[in-house]
Amino acid sequence: MAEILLAVERLKKFFTQKRGFPNPETVTVRALDEISFTVNRGEAFGLVGESGCGKSTAGRCVLRLIEPDSGGVTYAGEDVLEAGKERLRLLRRKMQIVFQDPYASLNPRRMIGKALAEPMQVHGLGDSAEIDARVEALLAEVGLPPDARWRFPHEFSGGQRQRIGIARALTVSPELVVADEPVSALDVSIQSQILLLLRGLQDKHGLSYIFISHDLGVVRWFCQSIAVMYLGRIVETGPVPAIFDDPLHPYTRMLRESSPVPDPEVRVAPARIAGEVPSAVNPPAGCHFHTRCPHVMDKCRQAYPEWRMVGQGRGVACHLHGA
Amino acid sequence: MTTAVKAGAASTSDTPGPILRVESLTTSFRSGGAWHPAVRDVSFDLARHETLALVGESGCGKSMTALSIMGLVPKPAGRIAGGHIWFEGEDLTQLDDEAMRRIRGDRISMIFQEPMTSLNPVLTVGFQVAEALFYHRGMSGREADRMALDLLEQVKIPSARRRFADYPHQFSGGMRQRVMIAIALACRPQVLLADEPTTALDVTIQAEVLALLAELKTAYGMSMVFITHNLGVVAAIADRVAVMYAGEIVEIATVRELFRRPTHPYTELLMRSIPRVDRNIAELETIQGQVPSISAMPPGCRFAPRCPLREPRCEAAPPPLAGRSGHHVRCVVRAGA
Repeated sequence: MAEILLAVERLKKFFTQKRGFPNPETVTVRALDEISFTVNRGEAFGLVGESGCGKSTAGRCVLRLIEPDSGGVTYAGEDVLEAGKERLRLLRRKMQIVFQDPYASLNPRRMIGKALAEPMQVHGLGDSAEIDARVEALLAEVGLPPDARWRFPHEFSGGQRQRIGIARALTVSPELVVADEPVSALDVSIQSQILLLLRGLQDKHGLSYIFISHDLGVVRWFCQSIAVMYLGRIVETGPVPAIFDDPLHPYTRMLRESSPVPDPEVRVAPARIAGEVPSAVNPPAGCHFHTRCPHVMDKCRQAYPEWRMVGQGRGVACHLHGA
Repeated sequence: MTTAVKAGAASTSDTPGPILRVESLTTSFRSGGAWHPAVRDVSFDLARHETLALVGESGCGKSMTALSIMGLVPKPAGRIAGGHIWFEGEDLTQLDDEAMRRIRGDRISMIFQEPMTSLNPVLTVGFQVAEALFYHRGMSGREADRMALDLLEQVKIPSARRRFADYPHQFSGGMRQRVMIAIALACRPQVLLADEPTTALDVTIQAEVLALLAELKTAYGMSMVFITHNLGVVAAIADRVAVMYAGEIVEIATVRELFRRPTHPYTELLMRSIPRVDRNIAELETIQGQVPSISAMPPGCRFAPRCPLREPRCEAAPPPLAGRSGHHVRCVVRAGA
């Protein structure tokens, strides 16, 4: 039986913002509205959804880069949200993050060798000779030339910078990597290089991933199970083959049907009911998706559907699949 | 869509031949004291009512090809160094700025990836749509406004009348792109150049915008050059496809033919390196290495350094774009096969 590495329970995060000009008003963005999911050891868990659905906030809240309002995060039996400063430092050795644009997270005036050595110095992992050897090994592992350590971030292409971002996450030998849209900014040929690198690391080190993406094709290839998010809530979870072969939630189905397929014989059908993605500031009452759902019923406008497990690790929140 | 469709219908749409012919276009950029071609020897015809996709990765020259057609190559760093762009019997490369300005936004229009950076934040969307009509059609304010509203309705902006006086920041990304489309279509262009118009959009919105573009293309009888890096989008919208690599067209064919028989090794590898939403793929291909820089192009085939089928002759001389029955490939190894 698979071992649960990370358990997220009713995680909630609302942001307040001042919006509007010239008369600003304070609004509440319901970025995460009590989401729950689990990640098994060695598995790549996909969080998918469109912009503003809360998937990146979820990734950051798990690492406490953003402090959630309430809920629980348990990593290998340890409560992450209750951890003090020292425990959190140790937990962060186990959990690392890779960003979409690693360039934005690298100091432009610091050589790559130093950027890679820093996390190991912070966490006190070895003396300078050991750290040196490790930097060299990491560069080789992510497929960068050894002289990369003496170069600056601007000297690298997008794909190479992503390799640097991955190398930096690996410096502390983590068990779980939150990968936030790691290949979205890359060209197709480079995207597959990075996906294969991440897959190789998963096989070699038994890494687990929370893989945040809007690209269903990439998620289908890379992940073993996924959660689909819409306006701050998870609407469907389950193992990858099942979700793609037989999506239960109409939103999952809409996402899959609007994803372009590289085959002119299979022309994508545009969503039957057009509509804007509503804002997380003021999500529609009842099921948040009802304004765009082709199967909308009366009760969808009134009550948010309850979460139901429907076998084989699958869960869905939709009145179509209610009791 | 009543007034707009009738007004200024393209009178020349029945003359035979392609609407746009790009012939041996070379667009160069100056770097380190020397001129380097970002687009090299690009030729294609755009048939009337056709959608031609230009597909390739960043820096392959696909956007620069479109900017060359629009006469918008950034000066003085860049220039059209050779070739011709024939549009309705005129060579656009020979026109002066004033003549080009009259064509641009009127008979040839362009839409861009990021609508927010191409819309003016301090003008209402209604005004920005009407502007093209004052300028190119000499309409009165009231006439232009009425037509602009009609256009916003055609691009399916919900409650267009109420939103006419709104500013761009009050629109979502998908709605801004619809506004851009309305501006581009205002003067009923014969050719629409669409540069990654759906790349910044979410997939469900992308599907809607693609459907809208296809519908309006038919309604207006336009021809379209659609630039994208996404082969899925190509399959969804194109009639014909030109694959670009390092400034050159490496393969051109009808969309069915290209996806059925990708012949250039680059096209083939590209297709096998995309994860697909509709099926499980065991092996994902990659293309080793990266695109050569503009100032250090290999002397022979530009893809040779990354090509698994490389032979000594590939590196000797640039291969020609050769083939028959509309399927042309720039590869000496595959051309003979």
